[in-house]
Amino acid sequence: MTIASGTVREAAIAAPPPASAATSPARPRKRRQLTRNRWGYAYVAPFFLVFAAFSLYPFMYTAWVSLHETSLSNINGGTWVGLENYRNLLQSEFFWNATRNTFTIGILATVPQLCMALGLAHLLNYKLRGRTFFRTVMLMPYATSIAAATLVFSQLFGRDYGLINTMLEAVGLQAIDWEAGTVSSQVAIAVIVTWRWTGYNALIYLAAMQSIPGELYEAAEIDGASKWKQFLHVTIPSLRPTILFTIVVSTIGAVQLFGEPLLFAGNGTTSGGASGQYQTLGLLMYQQGWSNFHIGQAATTAWAMFMIILVIVGVNAVIGRLRNRADR
Amino acid sequence: MATVSFQQASRIYPKAERPAVDALDLEIADGEFLVLVGPSGCGKSTSLRMLAGLEEVDTGSIVIGDRDVTDSPPKERDIAMVFQNYALYPHMTVEENMGFALKLAGISKDERATRVREAAKILDLEPYLARRPKALSGGQRQRVAMGRAIVRNPQVFLMDEPLSNLDAKLRVQTRTQIAALQRRLGTTTVYVTHDQVEAMTMGDRVAVLKDGVLQQCDTPGELYDRPANVFVAGFIGSPAMNLVTGDAVDGGVQVGNAVLPVPREQLTRAAASNGKVTVGFRPEAVRLAGPGEGLPVRVDVVEQLGSDAFLYTSLADAPDDVLHSADLVVRTEPRSAVTTGQQLWLSTDRGAVHVFDAQTQQRVD
Amino acid sequence: MATLAPPVPDAGRSPSPAAPATRRRHRGGSKAGKPGPVTYTLLTLVALVSIFPLYWTLVAGSHTNAEIAATPPPFLPNASLFDNFQAALEQAPIGKAILNSVLVAGSITVGTVLFCTLAGFAFAKLQFRGKGVLLGLVIGTMMVPTQLAVIPLFMMIAELQWVNQLQAVILPTLVSAFGVFFMRQYLISALPNELLEAGRVDGASTFRIFWSIVVPVARPAMAVLAMLTFLTAWNEFFWPLIALTTANPTVQVALAGLGSGYVPQRSVIMAGTLLGTLPVLIVFTILGKQIVGGIMQGAVKG
Repeated sequence: MTIASGTVREAAIAAPPPASAATSPARPRKRRQLTRNRWGYAYVAPFFLVFAAFSLYPFMYTAWVSLHETSLSNINGGTWVGLENYRNLLQSEFFWNATRNTFTIGILATVPQLCMALGLAHLLNYKLRGRTFFRTVMLMPYATSIAAATLVFSQLFGRDYGLINTMLEAVGLQAIDWEAGTVSSQVAIAVIVTWRWTGYNALIYLAAMQSIPGELYEAAEIDGASKWKQFLHVTIPSLRPTILFTIVVSTIGAVQLFGEPLLFAGNGTTSGGASGQYQTLGLLMYQQGWSNFHIGQAATTAWAMFMIILVIVGVNAVIGRLRNRADR
Repeated sequence: MATVSFQQASRIYPKAERPAVDALDLEIADGEFLVLVGPSGCGKSTSLRMLAGLEEVDTGSIVIGDRDVTDSPPKERDIAMVFQNYALYPHMTVEENMGFALKLAGISKDERATRVREAAKILDLEPYLARRPKALSGGQRQRVAMGRAIVRNPQVFLMDEPLSNLDAKLRVQTRTQIAALQRRLGTTTVYVTHDQVEAMTMGDRVAVLKDGVLQQCDTPGELYDRPANVFVAGFIGSPAMNLVTGDAVDGGVQVGNAVLPVPREQLTRAAASNGKVTVGFRPEAVRLAGPGEGLPVRVDVVEQLGSDAFLYTSLADAPDDVLHSADLVVRTEPRSAVTTGQQLWLSTDRGAVHVFDAQTQQRVD
Repeated sequence: MATLAPPVPDAGRSPSPAAPATRRRHRGGSKAGKPGPVTYTLLTLVALVSIFPLYWTLVAGSHTNAEIAATPPPFLPNASLFDNFQAALEQAPIGKAILNSVLVAGSITVGTVLFCTLAGFAFAKLQFRGKGVLLGLVIGTMMVPTQLAVIPLFMMIAELQWVNQLQAVILPTLVSAFGVFFMRQYLISALPNELLEAGRVDGASTFRIFWSIVVPVARPAMAVLAMLTFLTAWNEFFWPLIALTTANPTVQVALAGLGSGYVPQRSVIMAGTLLGTLPVLIVFTILGKQIVGGIMQGAVKG
C-alpha cells in the first residue's frame, strides 16, 4: 500500500537523536510514505460522495430552510424570516401536543419493550430445544414492515369488528374505541412498536449475555448466590453498556415515530386522530410540509426533533459516564 | 542471493521519546544467517520491518545487494517474510497461499505448480496442498509460511519470531530444520527472536539489541566468550553470567569481605572511570574451593537437572545491601552432596573472569 | 437512513487461530441451566404473539368482509384468498410495487455493501490524515433523524425531476453510516495487520490486496450487512412515501395507499398486506437463521 507522495518530508517532526544527527548528514530527500498514505481517501471517497450529497448537505440545508418562510409549491423562493419559525413553533399548541404525545408513546413503547426483551433474552439463554426456531420466530415481527404491521394491528384494534374487542367482550369486558381515546390510541401504537422490536432487542441482549464468561457465574455459585441474585449481580451489570445502548437507539427511534400514527386511523390523514390525540413530532413535521405545504415550518420541527435526540443521547452519555466512575 | 546493509538506519515513531531503532549499522554477508535478538521493545522487529519495507526509515539507509531500497515498497525489494502468526490467507488453500506471490509476479500456472510442489516436497507438505490453513496443525501452518517464502526464491528471507507459536518440543525440532534448510538454500536470512538459545543455535552471527541500539554483533562463540558489555554478558547464556560490582582494591575487586582476583592491568583500566568494577563469571567457571579460600557463600536452592546441578547461592558475609544484587549461580556435578543452607567457598577459573568498567559498562580486556 | 442499529458490532468470529478459543468460551458463557416447562410455555406464548398478527393477515385476507365480522370470528384460512388478492391488485399496483421494491432494495444493498466495505476497511486498517474526524462524522450522523434530510432531498429530486422515479429513493439510501461502522468493527478484529503486510511482501497492489485478501476475509460480515440492509430498505417507509406516489410505488407506499382508501375493505387490505409482506417472509424463512446469527454477531461486545 504505497504511493509516491512526492512531498519533501518536512524537517523531522521528532528531532533526530543527537547521536545519529552527528554522524549522518541530515539529508532532505523525497520519501515514499510506506505506512501513512493517501489510499485511505480513495477507499472512503465513494462513501463520502454519496454521504455528503444525500445526508450531510441536506442536514445543513434544512437549517437554512428553517429560517425561511417557504412553501412546497415554491420551494426555491422563500423569504428570510430569521427565527420566526422557531418562535411560532414554540408558541404552537400543535407542537407541544405532538411533543407530549411523542414522549408518552415513546415511554409506553420503550420501557415495557426493553424489560420484556431482557426477560426474553434470559429465557432464550437456557439450553433450549428448538432454540433456532424460537429465535427466528421472535425476529419475524422485525422483518414485517411498519406499514404492514400497522395495517394489521389497526384491524385488530378496530372498534366494531376488531379481534381484540371481540375478545374483550367474550370475557365480559367492555369494548374499547381504541382509536378515539388518547390513552387507548397511544397504548395501541405502543403495542405495535413493542411487537416489532422486542424480539430484535432480545437477540441483542442474548448475544451480550452469551459473551459473559461462565467463570463469573461459577464464582457466584461458589459464593452461594441464587439464580436470581446471579441475574441481578452478574448478568445485569455486565449488560449495562448494552442496555444503555438499546435505550438510546430505541428512544431515537421513538422520537421519529411516523408510520404507525399515520396509518393507524386507516384513512391517511396526517392529523394523528380527530383531536390529534396520537399526533407525533414525525407526523406533525410531515403534516406541516406535505399537507399544509409549509416547508420552513416543517424544517423547524425537524431541527427540534434533532435537538431532542441530542439532549436524550447527552443525558444517557452522562449517566453512563457517572455509573462508570461510580464503579471505579 | 545478496548482501544486506543497514547504514545508520533509524526509526523514530511520532511522539516517541527515543528512536525505536537508533542509527543501526549492520553488514550482513551473502548467504549468512543473521539473528537479531534482544528483550521485547529492543527494536529487533522494527529493524526487520524496516528491511522489509513495512516500516519507514527516518534517517540513514538500507541496501540489499547493490541497490538502495530505503524508499522502495516491499514488492520491489525481492524479499520474503515469515510472520510470527504466519499470516496465511485463510480463504486460500496451501497451494494457493504458496503460489500467491508467484501469481502476482505473472508466473505461468504450470511453473507455479512446479515450484509450489518442489517447495512442498522439501517441507513435507505435499499431502496438504489442497487444504485450507484452518485444517492444519500449528507445525504445518508454520511450514506453509516457510514454504510461501522459499517458493519465491528471494534474495533475502526475513523471519519474525517464526517459532514462538509452537510448543516447546516442536520449536526445538523446527529450529534445526530451519537452520538446515537455510544452509541448503544458501539464502541470506535475517531472523528475529527474543530467545537467546534460538539465537545462539541458529545464527552464523547474532546481533544483540537493547533500546534500539546495537550492542554487539558477533558469532555465537565470540558473543559467549567475549561479551562486549554488561548487558550482553547478562543476556547471553542460561543461567545468566554472575555479575558482581565492587570497589577496585589491591589485587582484585572487593566483594563482601572477600576479594575476587583480577589481573592488575585490567583492573586499573576498568576502574579508571569511578573506581568501581563489574566482574562476571559464568556458572560453569566456578569451582568449589576448600574452607576459607575464595568467596564464602550460603546455598539457597539446589536445582538438580540430571546432567548437572545448579546451586543458587548468596554471599555469606555480605552486608545486607549487597545481598540480593550478588546472588551467584554455580554449576556442579549432578547428585553432589551439597544441601540447602550449607556454607561453601567459591573460586573462579583463571582467565574465565570478564571485567567491565562499572561506569561505562564496557568490557575491558 | 433511520436504521435501528445493533450496538458496537464486532464480529469476533475471525478466521484467525485465536477464534476457536473465543468461541468455546462463549458457549461456556451461557448459563448452562436446563429450562423447565415454564420456560417453554412462556417462550411458546411469545412465539404465538409474534406470529399471530401475521397469521391473522392470512385469515382475514382469505375471508369476505362479512365473514371476518362474524362472532366468533374465523380462525382458519378460507377460500376467498385469491379473490381478495385480485381485488387488492386492482386497488393498488402491488405487483409493480413488489418489482420496484426488489429493484430498490437490491440496488441499495449492492451499493451499501460495496461502499461500506471499502470505507470500513480504510477506517479499520489504513492510516490517513483526518481519519478520526471523518469516522466521528459518520458515527455522529447515526443520531440524526431522517426528518432532517427529507426537505432538501425533496427539493433536490424536484429540481432533478426525479419525483416518482426509483433513483429518488435509491440514491439517498445508497450508503449507510451504520454499515461503515459495522464493517470497520468486523475488519479490525477479523483482519490481522500481518495479512495485509504479507500481501504487500508478496507483491500485491493496493487494489489487489483489497480484492484478494480483504474481501474474502470480510465476506461473512458483508453477507450479514447485505441481509440487514435489504430488510431495512424493503421496509423503508418515510422517504419513499414522500418521493414516490401510488403510481410508481414501493411495497410500503402501495400498502399505505391501500390502507388510506375511503371505504376500508378489511379483507382486501389484509390480502394486499399479505402480498406485500410475503416476499420478505419467504426470504426470512430461508435465511432466518443467518439473519438471527448476523444480528447477534453484530451485537457482541456491547
